[in-house]
Amino acid sequence: MGEVILTMEGIDKSFPGVRALDQVSLEVRKGEVHALMGENGAGKSTLMKVLTGIYTKDAGKITYENKEVVFASPKAAQEAGVMIVHQELNMLNHLTVAQNIYIGREKMSGKLIHDKAMNKAAAALFQRLNIEIDPTETMGNLTVGKQQMCEIAKAISHDSKVIVFDEPTAALTESEIKELFKIIRDLRAKDIGIVYISHRMDEIKEITDRVTVLRDGAYVGTIDTEEATKEDIIQMMVGRVIYEEPKSKSNVAKDAPVVLEVKNLNAGRMVQNVSFRLHKGEILGFSGLMGAGRTETARVIFGADKMDSGEVFVNGQKVVIRSPQDAVRNGIGYLSEDRKRYGIVVAKTVAENTTMASLENFMAGLFINKKKEAQVAEEYVEKLKTKTPGVEQFVVNLSGGNQQKVVVAKWLVRNCDILIFDEPTRGIDVGAKSEIYHLMNELVKQGKSIIMISSEMSEVLRMSDRIVIMCEGRKTGEMDISEATQENIMHAATRRE
Amino acid sequence: MKKISNNRFVKAVGFNRILLCFVLILLYFLFTILVHVIQGQNFISLNRIFSALNYAYFMGLLSLGVTFVIATGGIDFSIGPVMYCAALISGYLLTANGWPLLLCLLVSILVGSLFGMLNGYLVAYWNLPSFITSMASMMLARGVGSVFTRTQSVSWPQAAAENGQYRMLVRIVTESGTTIPTGLFVLILISIICAIILNKTKAGRYILCIGSNKEAVRLSGVNVKRWEMLAYIICGTLAGMAAILFVGAYTTVQPGLGDTFNNEAIAGSVMGGTAMSGGVASIGGTFLGVMIIALLQEGILAMGFQRDYQFVITGIIVLVAVYVNVRSQKRKN
Amino acid sequence: MGAGVKKGNAFTNNPIVKTVGTQKIVVIGVIIFLAIFFSWMSPAFRQYSTVVSIFDFSYYVSLMAIGVTFPLITGGVDLSIGTGMVAAGLFAGNLVNQQNLPVGLALLVCILFGVALGCLNAFSVAKLNLPPFIATLSSMMIARGLGSILVGGMSVTWPAGATEQGWFRSIFRLDANGTLIPVGFILILALVIVMSVFLNHSRPGRYIISVGSNKEAARLSGIHVAKWHALAYIISGFFTGLAGVAYAATFQGIVPGTGAGLELDAIAGVIIGGTSMKGGYGTIGGTLLGVFVMSLLKTGLPFIGLQANWQQIITGIVLIIAVFIDVTRNAKK
Repeated sequence: MGEVILTMEGIDKSFPGVRALDQVSLEVRKGEVHALMGENGAGKSTLMKVLTGIYTKDAGKITYENKEVVFASPKAAQEAGVMIVHQELNMLNHLTVAQNIYIGREKMSGKLIHDKAMNKAAAALFQRLNIEIDPTETMGNLTVGKQQMCEIAKAISHDSKVIVFDEPTAALTESEIKELFKIIRDLRAKDIGIVYISHRMDEIKEITDRVTVLRDGAYVGTIDTEEATKEDIIQMMVGRVIYEEPKSKSNVAKDAPVVLEVKNLNAGRMVQNVSFRLHKGEILGFSGLMGAGRTETARVIFGADKMDSGEVFVNGQKVVIRSPQDAVRNGIGYLSEDRKRYGIVVAKTVAENTTMASLENFMAGLFINKKKEAQVAEEYVEKLKTKTPGVEQFVVNLSGGNQQKVVVAKWLVRNCDILIFDEPTRGIDVGAKSEIYHLMNELVKQGKSIIMISSEMSEVLRMSDRIVIMCEGRKTGEMDISEATQENIMHAATRRE
Repeated sequence: MKKISNNRFVKAVGFNRILLCFVLILLYFLFTILVHVIQGQNFISLNRIFSALNYAYFMGLLSLGVTFVIATGGIDFSIGPVMYCAALISGYLLTANGWPLLLCLLVSILVGSLFGMLNGYLVAYWNLPSFITSMASMMLARGVGSVFTRTQSVSWPQAAAENGQYRMLVRIVTESGTTIPTGLFVLILISIICAIILNKTKAGRYILCIGSNKEAVRLSGVNVKRWEMLAYIICGTLAGMAAILFVGAYTTVQPGLGDTFNNEAIAGSVMGGTAMSGGVASIGGTFLGVMIIALLQEGILAMGFQRDYQFVITGIIVLVAVYVNVRSQKRKN
Repeated sequence: MGAGVKKGNAFTNNPIVKTVGTQKIVVIGVIIFLAIFFSWMSPAFRQYSTVVSIFDFSYYVSLMAIGVTFPLITGGVDLSIGTGMVAAGLFAGNLVNQQNLPVGLALLVCILFGVALGCLNAFSVAKLNLPPFIATLSSMMIARGLGSILVGGMSVTWPAGATEQGWFRSIFRLDANGTLIPVGFILILALVIVMSVFLNHSRPGRYIISVGSNKEAARLSGIHVAKWHALAYIISGFFTGLAGVAYAATFQGIVPGTGAGLELDAIAGVIIGGTSMKGGYGTIGGTLLGVFVMSLLKTGLPFIGLQANWQQIITGIVLIIAVFIDVTRNAKK
């Protein structure tokens, strides 16, 4: 580890109604890999966006190469040598790999772009990094993992002095992760300062030198990775909140009937030969890495996307599901990972969203019976303890957890018995999280059955009765909760065919 | 500003609609003065009002129709030519082929509905972009109307002539010479029906929700394609009805025209508070917006300017209205 | 090409196929088929004068089409090119007739008029963030009205080919002792090559593609998105002006109020050529081929008995088919 290259001190950043960063500090040295950790919503990404000029800070000081700096834009940060590899891919799918890597700083010959020189430079770059990608390939044709590699190569090609990796391994396979770590060690040897954001404890232990932990937008502390144990870091991340104990055994009766059976489901590359059973009163966890095909599987079962082949049985009866209408008719409800896009109509009221899936039950002749609609909506606001000033409130004004409850209400009003929760607590704060968990447990007690897709290991271990694990579109594991551990789930989640 | 918008009356009627009323009154006075200065004529007269209303009748139906389509987040640029096409085909059947009047009126509405169905089908089931699809069917409507009448213009019968009864839908002149603007009642009645459909029925609910977030509605198990198509059918049907009110006021239709009305109808709807991005629509607002458009056209003519000025002015109105619209939507999110 | 095919097969790896592109080869096939079909159906079609009129039609449409390819690549559209072209031709031609402006200067004015219109569109789309189709629809109406107002509603006749001032007509059609030579085609071809290089091998072109491919990613790469977005519309305006020159050179007189609908011929040509309405991809060479499909159809249909009014219907149908192909192609990806 060399001298300090970057310090952030006392950074404040507020959004309307939220204090996202509160007096946060971070110090990065040349030639170190510095882990930035914290639960979802702890402020890691916000801090990095402040650093790279995407957000402006409210207060605090950033010192880079011994000078106080304020980067006005990502471009300004790039030019100074601070580069971020985003978690969401920022690719121009219509351009080639080389064109993407050199976007905004094309190699020119006179007034024209010298594409050949760019291809050559990109090929040399890939060779140095030991990545096998054709620079002339169109970006849109690459797999997500390969695209991620391109993004990393782009960051390196900028001659950056500080590189931020925001959850770089989320979409990578095991062998790709190994490649990435090799690259990172290489960069470290070249005295580059690296900020590494990740949730995966074993990665942190393997690759990083120091760890800084944030919690709820506040700075908790910095420790040397070597001296810290996993438990220390977890303790720092969760603070007073007791880290959830995993469920030790299934709550489902041995003879519980099968309510949903899926046989040899196929749909494109992301769903290949998936089969599983869901029992009455069961929470079936779906675990896997980003891009494992879990959401795709759920969407196909729900009829949102086309099925290539396969069979679906509901309560032992074979059903044909071609559209969400068919699924809903068979008592299946789907709660999307992306509520704002797929779950709720934000510009409409709580009442309107609650009855969205079952409006035919609220008709008086040709007209909607708004009184009955409001009554039922109010009933469910009380039942689910949704915090809203009233059912005429627009859903856009509700918090994430309460929006999720409105979606749950929508399916309960429709009387769905099989509910698919896709990342049910993503973007929801800690307090509301346990309410959602409580709600899910209540639902299965009442005889509903739940498929829960989750990327949070602790959530999977805490909630599931049984766990199905997927990797690259295939089912790579299935286990009872009593035999499940983080290690064997992770092992199955990275098992490639 | 805040106090005004919190007033109970303002809240019930809507700030936007009250503003439109003011604009309407202001515009009326403005034209009174301008027409007096420029032409030395009196703008305040019953004839002028009736003439403006004539324009408002068919424009109103077009605007109401396109409001449903814009509410789904789409657009329909074919309404003007479709109205012309409907008037040409039904008028040709009436005058050249001697079909019974009532049947011809039905044909007119049917032609409109068919074009609406075509647009709706292509947009909802084939996922084609609505603006380009409706421009294509605008060309179809222009061509079909002109092929059907062999590029002849069609003149509908006068009120006193045989088969002239349809004009009672626009105005009735009593024996004592007083004119009853029945068209206004027709427009108000249809506006009320539209308001009920939009705000009280399943169709309206789903049309608005589709405009707000189509995918979320589809994933609620709703047949979004059907409801989206319905919006276009409503729009087309109203264009077919508009044809009747148009010939009731202006008698003659020429083939190959009609596209200039699209912009004015869209302007009326957007001024009335319908969001271009979909999900928000107001029938009352559209009604007032159309009245402003009609008054504008009458005022510009009364000042002695060409209709070309109206194209320019409507173009600018649309730009401004959409800009305000986009801004206010952004502020909400 | 299938989505899963990475390296392609022997056919798509063929260097000729690879550089020309599969879609273009199909379009060339369609052109040959249409030419054979019309020649077979009508002996009158097999004449030199037909070839000249096919080219005549193609000049102004292909100029509009080359221009509108750029807004389409950004994922937008420019609907003002048709009426804009006519307005530019009217305005500049009127200066020649009324103010005795030298024709050379008038042609420059014509182009500048187009650029000004392009700037208006660029401002509303890139700066005010209005939806492109509605912003350019407004300027379409404005151009239509303005063109007419500026010339006082009268049609404008540019100097005839035989007169001293008529030299500009031979830019496109050289009269060599009674034999008309379509030299304009060489000019168009040169422009296609220049704009193709501009699009694919210059920074502005690359950034315009980037804006259409993923605006946010382009912004995060430090690209001044609004600037390049605006440039696409200004280019479109520039070519609208050029099309005005071609239009004036091709036709005897220009009539105010026309031009609406011509933009659809151009847009249909662009989409047939393989440019995606979704943005992010476009080809100028394909655009030229697409225009020739439209040109052949428009010129050939009268020979098999389908007159002008049928052409609008054909434009409509071709447009729907082209957009449908584009949408299905994108859905596959």
